[in-house]
Amino acid sequence: MERIFDERRRGIRHKVVLPWRRTLEVCWSNIRHRMGRCVLSFVCIAVAVAFLTSATTYQLIISDLLHSADVHTQAVLERAGMFVNDEEAVRRQHDQRLWLMALSAFLCLVGISNTILMSVTERYREIGTLKCLGALDTFVVRLFLVESVFVGVLASFAGAVAGYGLGLVQAGAALEFPLLSAGACFRVLGLVVPGAVTLGTVLTMLAAAYPTYVAARMKPVEAMRTEV
Amino acid sequence: MADMREIVRVQEVRKSYVMGAETVHALRGITLIIYGGEYISIMGPSGSGKSTLFNMIGGLDKPTSGEVYIDDVDIAQLEPYELAWLRCRKIGYIFQTFNLIPVMTALENITLPMVFAGLDADSARDKGAELLKLVGLGERLNHRPAQMSGGQQQRVAIARALANDPAIILADEPTGNLDLKTGREIIGLLKQLKEERGVTTITATHDMKMLDVSDRVIWITDGMVGKIQQREELEIKVGTIDGREV
Repeated sequence: MERIFDERRRGIRHKVVLPWRRTLEVCWSNIRHRMGRCVLSFVCIAVAVAFLTSATTYQLIISDLLHSADVHTQAVLERAGMFVNDEEAVRRQHDQRLWLMALSAFLCLVGISNTILMSVTERYREIGTLKCLGALDTFVVRLFLVESVFVGVLASFAGAVAGYGLGLVQAGAALEFPLLSAGACFRVLGLVVPGAVTLGTVLTMLAAAYPTYVAARMKPVEAMRTEV
Repeated sequence: MADMREIVRVQEVRKSYVMGAETVHALRGITLIIYGGEYISIMGPSGSGKSTLFNMIGGLDKPTSGEVYIDDVDIAQLEPYELAWLRCRKIGYIFQTFNLIPVMTALENITLPMVFAGLDADSARDKGAELLKLVGLGERLNHRPAQMSGGQQQRVAIARALANDPAIILADEPTGNLDLKTGREIIGLLKQLKEERGVTTITATHDMKMLDVSDRVIWITDGMVGKIQQREELEIKVGTIDGREV
């Protein structure tokens, strides 16, 4: 009978592999067959990002208009309760806007973390099984990260675009739609959408990385025993 | 029969779990040797520690003290990639709860260990289809676990365990979730694989039907080896239920 280990256990390091092509195939298959769960994660991430984006878009548009010297714009702003000529009030409103953006970023973080944490932890048993079949910790982390990046990018993009549109509508409704110049809108678009997509994707990745890393480091038997 | 080369050696293995304020001693110093090509049943009631021992032998958990040697190598000393290689290429696991990946088809489940072993997609597909045929599910390539019965899922799990031609098959209560007839079929299949492929088969079970096919039976009581019996020493009495032999 053949021996399991040869004398020096040579070449073993390169004998357990997960090629990138197969990683993508497995991830795509997982997404396709867990469509219900993925749609739920997608919606949660998109809503969180849309909330952040709409708040940010609204605030940036207002900030932009506050710098305008146009008398009509100033009149509209004052009518909407924004004190153009009171520096103290402008600073106070600026702080409030920052606070609102920070709060929406925090809600975005909590929303995404919760969604992704749940979708990873409910698969601990699967992670244990993968390890029994010979997956290295890095394979498990890679499989789950690629999947989360895929969902994260798409959902963040959808959320950012929707949020941007909502932010514009909100600003236009609060003031006057003709005040929203194409230049300002594009400037804000270029700032907000890439930022929100990056933030949403990074948050999704971080939220997925932590529980996956924890599960991948567990002994297989512990991962398989974990009930969520 | 066995070629009398040591393939697994368990040396004074102890395992304790801390549960709240209490320490549970699941294994209390187990020593045993398993030879290549043997069919071993680790028998014992629930809570006796047989599944814990199974996990130790399979490198799925680490002992609190003591060593498990596979082919004279202490598996606690293996690097993570060596342990992954051992699980991937040399040991095939079968679980009571089947543990198939629910979103994958039977064929995808079977070919997954082959992916980790670096087999190309076409060869993996061919080999997977062949293994499914071997376990009697040649027509169920594209069925998902939820579309199969318990017995069929366990057959897929057995085919998956054989994916990379392992030297050892470890089965934890393989018939635990199956009815009598299906359980017998699974035992028959394991016996057939052992005979045809010379795979060392180690099962942790409390299914007495398993006695009939075992070369040796290791009785575990209270985390210790109660006795080890050779096949010839066993008094197997065949009974009937509903007029059928069991």
